[in-house]
Amino acid sequence: MGVALRPILLDHKREVEWQDIQGTAVIDAHNALYQFLSIIRQPDGTPLMNREGRTTSHLSGILFRTVNFIDRGIRPAFVFDGAPPAFKQQTIEARRDTRSRADKAWQEALQRGDLEEAYKQARSASKIDAFIIRTAQEMLDLMGVPWLQAPSEGEAQAAEMVRRGDADYAVSQDYDSLLFGAPVLVRNLTVSRKRKFRSRTVTVRPEQIILADLLDSLGITREDLIGIAVLVGTDFNEGIHGIGAKKALKLVKAGAFRATLEEGLPGFDPEPVLDFFRHPPVTGDYDLTWRPPDTEGIKSMLCDRFDFSEERVSAALEKLEIKAGQKTLEQWF
Amino acid sequence: MLKAKIDADVFKESIDVISALVTECRVHTENDGILTRAVDTANVAMVALGLDKSAFSSYEASPDQIGLDINKMKNIIGMMSKGEPLTLDLPEGEKKLKLSFGGYRYSITLLDVNTIRKDPNPPNIELPGKAVLSGEDLNSAIKAAAVISDKVALGIDPDTEIFYMEAEGDTDHIKLEIGSGDLRSLTPVKVRSLFSLDYLKDMGRVMGRADEVEIQLGNDHPVKFAFDIANGRGHVEYLLAPRIEAD
Repeated sequence: MGVALRPILLDHKREVEWQDIQGTAVIDAHNALYQFLSIIRQPDGTPLMNREGRTTSHLSGILFRTVNFIDRGIRPAFVFDGAPPAFKQQTIEARRDTRSRADKAWQEALQRGDLEEAYKQARSASKIDAFIIRTAQEMLDLMGVPWLQAPSEGEAQAAEMVRRGDADYAVSQDYDSLLFGAPVLVRNLTVSRKRKFRSRTVTVRPEQIILADLLDSLGITREDLIGIAVLVGTDFNEGIHGIGAKKALKLVKAGAFRATLEEGLPGFDPEPVLDFFRHPPVTGDYDLTWRPPDTEGIKSMLCDRFDFSEERVSAALEKLEIKAGQKTLEQWF
Repeated sequence: MLKAKIDADVFKESIDVISALVTECRVHTENDGILTRAVDTANVAMVALGLDKSAFSSYEASPDQIGLDINKMKNIIGMMSKGEPLTLDLPEGEKKLKLSFGGYRYSITLLDVNTIRKDPNPPNIELPGKAVLSGEDLNSAIKAAAVISDKVALGIDPDTEIFYMEAEGDTDHIKLEIGSGDLRSLTPVKVRSLFSLDYLKDMGRVMGRADEVEIQLGNDHPVKFAFDIANGRGHVEYLLAPRIEAD
């Protein structure tokens, strides 16, 4: 779910054109899979499925989005979450509760015949399980797209890879990557391209946040940004009731972080969380090599096992084959 | 400011060189000629073109950058007759370029240079293998490979002193070896890289008109094609990133 920093980031997000974000993108795989599962659904909220009732929304998302990225000159790599830190347990349980409530509400809406509500609830009921992850990774392997398993949080690993200069930016809908120190975060790459906004349909464009510019214009350090997040609440700690991002920004800038925390959350020791954002477990052991796609393997997986339309898959693969094996000049400039 | 007169064929040749890769570019007008360097939108290929002042029948310019819509230029060129003189006129501070030829007087709105991708830095690259051959032979080889595949390997075999190209289709294979008889020169170093024929076909059409083309190659490195246009008064370099060879 990430951290609710949006109010203070609004003025610092820049809509960018696709051509401005050509380069290597490290994608928060869980976040992307969650987006795919929640948006790629039938009108009554049922995800795409094969004959046996296995969910395939995520595979559709991975194939068609990745081909689209590659076609636009973006080289994607996916980072999967590793073991969550112990203090994330509460968030994980809360999410499980939300999902099971949404699941129940979805079934009830279906029985009533309320499709709009059913669709809404079904999205919240999206669940990433071992099957989703396993098949997503199998699909990426066949496509020749590199992926890795983060030691802990995927966003922390993505931030590290951008910081090392191995990738140009991190991709996630959540802002946590910024807390983990990602120099550049790009949003909206894995969400629906159209969004209803005050009954109009608007096109959703990629959005870029540059950490250094953000900190500079807010007049704070990354440490301050982490402090703001902790006051508001993160995946690793509950926030203080009544404190939003704007108020937290003021408090932190006034040097009142510790005092506010002691008053709002007596007995809470922020050090493990602060330290996790400052120095999350990451690895330098990865290989970002894009390989030619195994088109026959992809067809057999998607069309034979998961009942995808051969025509659509072939059209996407044709694009992929042409672009995926092509290097760009960047590394020689 | 730019005030120049140029043979329509030379202008057309220059536009063709650029249009093989990009649809718009920044052209630098300098005291001693014009320069442009542009990378295609996918960052796969680069074109660098320099046209010396002497390629024009008259030339006067102050250092500036102009944004050129190459597609529009191509359409206009289609209206010109062979060997016709073309006059280019861009007064200082103006945003419209006047092109006059025959009875036509075009006034073309230039693109805002800030909306065009910045010039790439000069690439930092070592390409040890070198072969020089006629543009026509090179273009024929590219066309021959394109019949059966969408990618082609270019390489040099130092033992037999040949430059070769090899393409593998789904069911077919082609290999062409060019030896000392047809090569103007060769630096025999063992090199090989794979390239997309989509790009090479477009470049080949332009290179086919060059008397000779110098090809510089490495291993899994870009290829550089260098050749002259406008009777040696213009120089072109194409750089194309390699494809990944399948295992």
